[in-house]
Amino acid sequence: MNIQIENLSFRYPNGVLALRRVSLEIAPGEQVAVIGQNGAGKTTLVKHLNGLLLPTEGRVRIGDWDTRHYSVAKLARRVGYVFQNPDEQLFTKTVAEEIAFGPRNLGYPGERIQELVEDALQLTQLQAMRNTNPYDLSPTWRKMVAIASILAMDTPILVFDEPTTGQDAASVTRLAMIIAELKRRGKTVITITHDIDFCAENFARVIVMGGGQVLLDGPARTVLGKAEILAQTYVDPPQITRLGLRLGLAEVVCTPQEFLDAFEKQCAA
Amino acid sequence: MHERLSFYVKRESALHQLNPLTKLTLVFGLILPAFLVPFYWTPHLLLLLVVFPLAFLGKVQGEYFTAVTKLILPAAGFLFVMQALFIPGGETVLAKLWFLTLTQESLMYAFANAVRIFVMVSSFTLFMLTTHPSELMSDLTQRGLPGQFAYVIIATLQIIPQMQAKASTIIAAQRSRGLDTESSFARRVQALVPLVGPLVFGSLVEVEERAIAIEARGFTSRRPKTSLREIYDRPLDKGLRWLLILIMLASLVSRIWFS
Amino acid sequence: MPIVKLQQVTYHYPFTEKPALQDINLEVEEGEFVAVIGPNGAGKSTLCYTLAGFIPHFYKGELKGIVEVDGVLVQDSDLSDWVLKVGLVFQNPFNQISGAKYTVFEEVAFGLENSGVPRSEIIRRVEEVLQMTGIADLADRSPYSLSGGQQQRVALASILVMQPKVLVLDEPTSQMDPIGTREVFGVIRQMAEQGMTVVMAEHKVEWIAQFADRVIALWEGKIYLEGKPHEVLTDERLVEKGFGVSRYTTTARLALPRGLWQKERPLPVTLEEAVAGFSALRNARRKQG
Repeated sequence: MNIQIENLSFRYPNGVLALRRVSLEIAPGEQVAVIGQNGAGKTTLVKHLNGLLLPTEGRVRIGDWDTRHYSVAKLARRVGYVFQNPDEQLFTKTVAEEIAFGPRNLGYPGERIQELVEDALQLTQLQAMRNTNPYDLSPTWRKMVAIASILAMDTPILVFDEPTTGQDAASVTRLAMIIAELKRRGKTVITITHDIDFCAENFARVIVMGGGQVLLDGPARTVLGKAEILAQTYVDPPQITRLGLRLGLAEVVCTPQEFLDAFEKQCAA
Repeated sequence: MHERLSFYVKRESALHQLNPLTKLTLVFGLILPAFLVPFYWTPHLLLLLVVFPLAFLGKVQGEYFTAVTKLILPAAGFLFVMQALFIPGGETVLAKLWFLTLTQESLMYAFANAVRIFVMVSSFTLFMLTTHPSELMSDLTQRGLPGQFAYVIIATLQIIPQMQAKASTIIAAQRSRGLDTESSFARRVQALVPLVGPLVFGSLVEVEERAIAIEARGFTSRRPKTSLREIYDRPLDKGLRWLLILIMLASLVSRIWFS
Repeated sequence: MPIVKLQQVTYHYPFTEKPALQDINLEVEEGEFVAVIGPNGAGKSTLCYTLAGFIPHFYKGELKGIVEVDGVLVQDSDLSDWVLKVGLVFQNPFNQISGAKYTVFEEVAFGLENSGVPRSEIIRRVEEVLQMTGIADLADRSPYSLSGGQQQRVALASILVMQPKVLVLDEPTSQMDPIGTREVFGVIRQMAEQGMTVVMAEHKVEWIAQFADRVIALWEGKIYLEGKPHEVLTDERLVEKGFGVSRYTTTARLALPRGLWQKERPLPVTLEEAVAGFSALRNARRKQG
């Protein structure tokens, strides 16, 4: 499902202009990371995707739906949104019930809900904890429950707000696997992150925001090599990219594998 | 984000300079006469001759009259209508509406009561507009109020905007999961569990961590505490407080004497 | 004489069967900067709470073994006295705001007011610590209005101002950008050099490698590895257990079988080490070729 953002400006009621004439198009099945420092407008932008915020000017279309004409609850069929803090959404007695809440709201038939819950449990590796109370889990696993509860809604578009905050290495790996699987299934994934290395390793397209505008937008390799523009918004290039830049490699690299291939070539030259 | 967590407006004025306890005494020095003095026009005169001028003396007339139009007037107005219509008794019937009777006596009674409430809420509003909560608490703690008690008051004052912010995030999160909070009344009632659950649980976690946080800063230390804020208590303050206490006593006496 | 001494420390949270800490032996010298790494749930926070006296004074449960700071046993001390010796900064910045104060300046002063420090000294110390932690420009803001990273600096300043002998930090930079992280590590290093003892639970291994004197790797409540930062952070056993490892280390490890990293050279943890190592190999190759 296509996402079309045309000339989007947004002003908060307190007068702060958080977005200035942002235009973007995101094709079905794209994996997009949105980066930039605090206050750059990242969260304000993605909150427009499911109608939590409505444009002050311009418009946002999800497929053929203009977000101004659909409620958040309706838009939830098309856009799943994982909030940053799982504790601000978990309320049921078991993990499985929590995951079923979203699909039930969307009115899916019982059998389909069953399947979706099973699938989400498996993707997040929560099977063994299905009957546990979410609040008896560690914050790391609570986050997985929150993610599973959105995965189970089976929306064509998924938005993650800072999914790696407070997660350890194992959990970040799990997240990367989930994102890869969503890609394989043809879902659109849009992730806000300040973990630039996570961004480099898992996203093909990167959008850099600053001062409510899009500063850079393009393939990860092109965007993440632009150290000077990134510095404007207080972002360092990813570690591997920096290593490549320091060694003067011919191309911008994002992952250890890419680095080694490029480095081997450079040594041979 | 909520930058303003109190009603306090920072200005240089005679009212701002008063000691917090003096201002608190002033609040009750207005409320007690308004409710107790048997002379019918007392609250009305207090409002016109004392409360309104005080707002100008404190240089917070703008904020005060905004509060009056948005909050105090509607509340007092509502009270007036309800009491005028529903308080039974009185002989001079002015109008009859179905089962309701409007008499001159109930009208007068309701008017006085509404103005009393007006005076009460106004005094508190002026107090909050011109007194920084930290100053009040530091002052009261130095006068012997237990620190824990002061903390609970301040933390409660601050937690309300926090809870509001949290509640709106929770609502946003659940709506994003397809929860319908907008259509029918029945739906809204059903939607309460997913909204209240995270609010309560989140608060429990928060209370535990916050307890650790203030404990880590020596909150329960038995040493005598000091205060960052310097609070002045001038002879004028002491004089005013005595005067106000006399006024309160006098209104109490007048009540007993004339009834 | 070590300032922190833990001997055979085992701790169970109330109503749990599995110990959160098991047989911990740890000695920390005055002025030493010790980093604690481990996956979530390995016991990092529990260790921090134990050092800071919140176990056993706040969290009940069962604490066995010896916990001693500056020659005093934790059980023999009041928590309100203990916190003056051992300062604790924990992860969630929002919940560390006291809730009793309206500006950052007042917030940082809170601990000093509680400990009865005279007013003029409070002002002097607060100003100094706001400068040091880079938040002097936030002094008049409400602590609630700040970003997570800024709140974490306020939380750090609020404890530093109390000048504890031992500073315990539980992931104090989790919400900071790289620039904030670098600055905060700098401040903490500086405190250690001035004689403050630091124990810090942290995920960011590149920073640990540059700033810490010693690393302790926790796994399921036990000390799994311990030693000099480089030895521990490049140890292969970390990978098996799912610890966070530097991307530079991972890259060099992948480079080894391809002959792109010199076998005798230690694996890198930081960017500088990686640059040095790969440059050396490239130069060697070019000489041969």
